[in-house]
Amino acid sequence: MQQFLERHKKHIIRAVTLVLVIVAVAASWKNINATLLESAIGVVVTPFQDLTTGISSWVNTSITSAREKRDLKTENEELKTQIADLLAENKRLSLYDEENKRLSALLDIAQRYPELESTGTSVIAKDPGVWYDVFTIDKGTKDQMTANMVLIAPEGLVGKVLESGLTYSSAQSILDSRSSVPAMSLRTGDLGVVKGSYTLLNEGLCTMEYIDGEAEIMVGDEIVTSHLSDIYPAGIPIGKVAELETDPNGLTKYAIIEPFVDLKHLTTILAVSKGSSGETIQLENQTEDTP
Amino acid sequence: MRLLITALMVLVNFILQTTLLHMFAIRGVLPNTALIIAVSYALLRGSREGAFVGIGAGLLQDIFFGSTLGAYALLYAVLAVLFGRSQRDFYRENYLLPVLFCSIAACLCEGAVYMAGFVFQGTGNLLYFLFQVMLPEMVYTAVITVPIYRILFGVNDWLELKEKYKYRLF
Repeated sequence: MQQFLERHKKHIIRAVTLVLVIVAVAASWKNINATLLESAIGVVVTPFQDLTTGISSWVNTSITSAREKRDLKTENEELKTQIADLLAENKRLSLYDEENKRLSALLDIAQRYPELESTGTSVIAKDPGVWYDVFTIDKGTKDQMTANMVLIAPEGLVGKVLESGLTYSSAQSILDSRSSVPAMSLRTGDLGVVKGSYTLLNEGLCTMEYIDGEAEIMVGDEIVTSHLSDIYPAGIPIGKVAELETDPNGLTKYAIIEPFVDLKHLTTILAVSKGSSGETIQLENQTEDTP
Repeated sequence: MRLLITALMVLVNFILQTTLLHMFAIRGVLPNTALIIAVSYALLRGSREGAFVGIGAGLLQDIFFGSTLGAYALLYAVLAVLFGRSQRDFYRENYLLPVLFCSIAACLCEGAVYMAGFVFQGTGNLLYFLFQVMLPEMVYTAVITVPIYRILFGVNDWLELKEKYKYRLF
């Protein structure tokens, strides 16, 4: 037996190798289950493998998470600055939007009075006192502004220019107690004079005085400038009647007028000079509104 | 140096008073910071210098908003002279007197404008003047005087220190 083995060692090895190869090939094809021995080895080894893999993956994840945290932090900061930038941009754009609306409204009124020469302007400073309502606008004689030019906002009359410097003009609103504007009621054609009053200045109201005692003017009537003025073109809306009282003498009435323009928060206004064609506008208005 | 800084203060005050200060109006009433500066200056440096500050501040207001050139200049100058007379008689570190004087000055100033502009034209409304203008303005002025006087006091101290140093050189 010993001799047999010695003599055929090579053959035996070849045969065993061949068998093993065949078994391995067959096993890989047939995908048979692990044998008992393999399972036994597996039972001992796998927990350790599990443990080491767990540890290594934990280390790995904690390292990567620390790195990720750092990345996230920087990313977060970047995003925050980006948001701030975008918000600022957004605000800027909405400001442009507002300005655009204001300017297109001004363009509207400029087109409504095409015969009058007009210049857009904005309010830059206001009188600090409580008695008068005078403000400074940012256009002067350089831009052909002169005294007694009329100031209009999209909603209606604002006031007039008192005097012009080279780059600025001081203007007086209709709420100033020195201002008086010849006016009439659009519905009935009753004439009067819109005057400012320092007691009403704070509430943004003014009065219309010298209305005829028998005039049929009513609360809610629209008041516009009349044709009796050298300064103001006719037909510019001023405001509406808020209250109506009879004067102590019983002959005339006076009304409290609520201007259409928010005179406390003026920003952009239009300055127009009364041209020779102011009359035609007035006539058109009257023919439209008298029936 | 003093002239430059004082002129700058008056100018900056005018710019802020006519633009930014309107945001802090309470029922339309604003403290008259130009008058506060003129009177405080008079209290710190005497009648004459106070009068010049008053004229400067008043002229600015007259040019841009007044109908008569010099009306406010005269008013502020007179008030500064009036209150500057007490400059020698009190301690400048004390806040009570400047507050009181500025408050009274504001009251007199509004009273003068009211008399000249409305009472003599027959449109005076005494109740409105007393309760809507004079009282709120006195209170508001008294409150605002404290920080303004503090700033003026500090600037004045600094300037006087510099001037003293300059005089010692020569």
